[in-house]
Amino acid sequence: MKHGSRSLLTKHSIIMALFIVACIATGNQSRAAEFSFGDGTGKNEACIACHGNQEKVDSKNYINPTSFGHTTHAKFGCTTCHDTIASNHPNGKSVASTTRCDDCHGDIITQYSASIHATKASCSGCHNPHRVFKPGEISAIEMNKQCAGCHDTNKITASHAQWLPQAGVHLGAISCVTCHSKAENYVITIYIAKRADSDPEQKPELASFEELKKRSGSDSIQYLIDRNRDSYISLDELRKFNRDSANQDLYLKAILTPVKPTHSFQTFDNRWDCTFCHASGPEIMQTSYLSFPEQNGTFQQIAVEKGAAMDALHAIPNFYLMGSTRNGLLNKLGLLIIIGGMVMPVGHGFFRFLSRKNRQ
Amino acid sequence: MSSIMVYLQPIPVRIWHWLNALGIVTLCVSGAQIRFPEYVTLFGSYRSAIMLHNTAGIVVALSFSIWFFYYKFVADSLADIYIPKGSDLTTGLFRQVIFYFFAYFFGAPNPHHATPESKFNPLQKSAYLAIMFVLMPFVSLTGILLMNMGPMREIVMLVGGLKILVAIHFLLACSLCAFIFTHVYLATLGSTPLAYFKPMWSGWEKVEHHGTEHSH
Repeated sequence: MKHGSRSLLTKHSIIMALFIVACIATGNQSRAAEFSFGDGTGKNEACIACHGNQEKVDSKNYINPTSFGHTTHAKFGCTTCHDTIASNHPNGKSVASTTRCDDCHGDIITQYSASIHATKASCSGCHNPHRVFKPGEISAIEMNKQCAGCHDTNKITASHAQWLPQAGVHLGAISCVTCHSKAENYVITIYIAKRADSDPEQKPELASFEELKKRSGSDSIQYLIDRNRDSYISLDELRKFNRDSANQDLYLKAILTPVKPTHSFQTFDNRWDCTFCHASGPEIMQTSYLSFPEQNGTFQQIAVEKGAAMDALHAIPNFYLMGSTRNGLLNKLGLLIIIGGMVMPVGHGFFRFLSRKNRQ
Repeated sequence: MSSIMVYLQPIPVRIWHWLNALGIVTLCVSGAQIRFPEYVTLFGSYRSAIMLHNTAGIVVALSFSIWFFYYKFVADSLADIYIPKGSDLTTGLFRQVIFYFFAYFFGAPNPHHATPESKFNPLQKSAYLAIMFVLMPFVSLTGILLMNMGPMREIVMLVGGLKILVAIHFLLACSLCAFIFTHVYLATLGSTPLAYFKPMWSGWEKVEHHGTEHSH
């Protein structure tokens, strides 16, 4: 027992040490893509030589080197998790692993275990450890597709339609976890989507890296919108993208995504109240990000000038959250029109009152 | 001078009018809750306001159809009643404006006398032409598009996107709201404050009879 505790402690220490070394080696997350297999932490290259080649392994054992290379798991090295691998591998025997997710992600497991979802799916039910993302690195559409792996989209739309007007449109503009996890707040994430899709409002399809790369050529996809290359999207840049006839087959698809996703999966009471989104007010609607695909399968986010969702007409032409993204200028114009309608009753009524004796 | 009773507003017109009135007021108030949920909570939950707004919108669109069908195909008087004639535009408008903003205050009679064939004075004709042929159809169409964002998405994109559609719908709705204030006030300018309200309820209007001016 004592020996077991010590070995577990040692294992944690090794993992932590490896992680610290990996962090120092890579500097920060933006350099994750530069990580090279076998950087002293694991001997990934030997594994990937076979498992990264679809001709050598079947699809079940194939690991996409680009996607995997991006992950923190890659930094730990294959053998950190696959620690029982035999020296004569491949020997026809399946490789067991004594490493479990909660060895590293204990706090998330605790949180997840308390949710109603815990009895329905294990970690690997939703996550592929060889292709993991940080929040923001995965598109909302792909997050929703993971949910749709078990939850039939048509049935989900039908069940939401029992209480939610235009359920299909709602579900196409929000990630499932925005409502079904204990996310404190949400943010507007803007993606570049394809117009030609048969049902883009309810089942939006994002333009892929390859499709966008054809347009940007040798430039980064980011510069399709970020024309002044300052890694910041202004409202003017959004308008120019929308007005550019070369982008007629694309549109900016905005989706509500949680600011900080959690694994507390359940439907919280305030999510049944439409005003959770529709009356949260202009303040929160000021923040949005542009998210565009990278070659390694992740998405990168860059900040958008405040007020994109509030812009009256052109910044995100197809995103309108009733109540929350109302435009102040239009409100004033509307008020002026209504006041104009009161001019006759008030003005004419005043003189009518003064001249009442003339009509008796 | 005597007075006669003129059957001015047939039943289909009255049904349309009051359905329209109730519908538009409901749409204005529920619309205010939808746009300003932090400040307007008259209909309870946001969802209730949406459902009510959608229902009232359908009712108003249907009542608009009744109006159009009746005047165009049953009474066949849509153009005569709603489209200003040459004389309306050259002299009628001016005469009516002088009456409302000058002569009225000195007790002069209204230069226009309503008949079933000519219900509206030139000013009314011009206003109703804009309201019934521009405001109402467009506010209804934009509303129908907003209610069916999924299936009608391509049309929305053609308009210029959801934001532009909402802006058009909102500004047209504000114009209709403004019209209500003016409309109700002008309806009190009869011989008595309720003189113009009664015919829209009973159908009959009491018209002062000057010799042979009105023979029906």
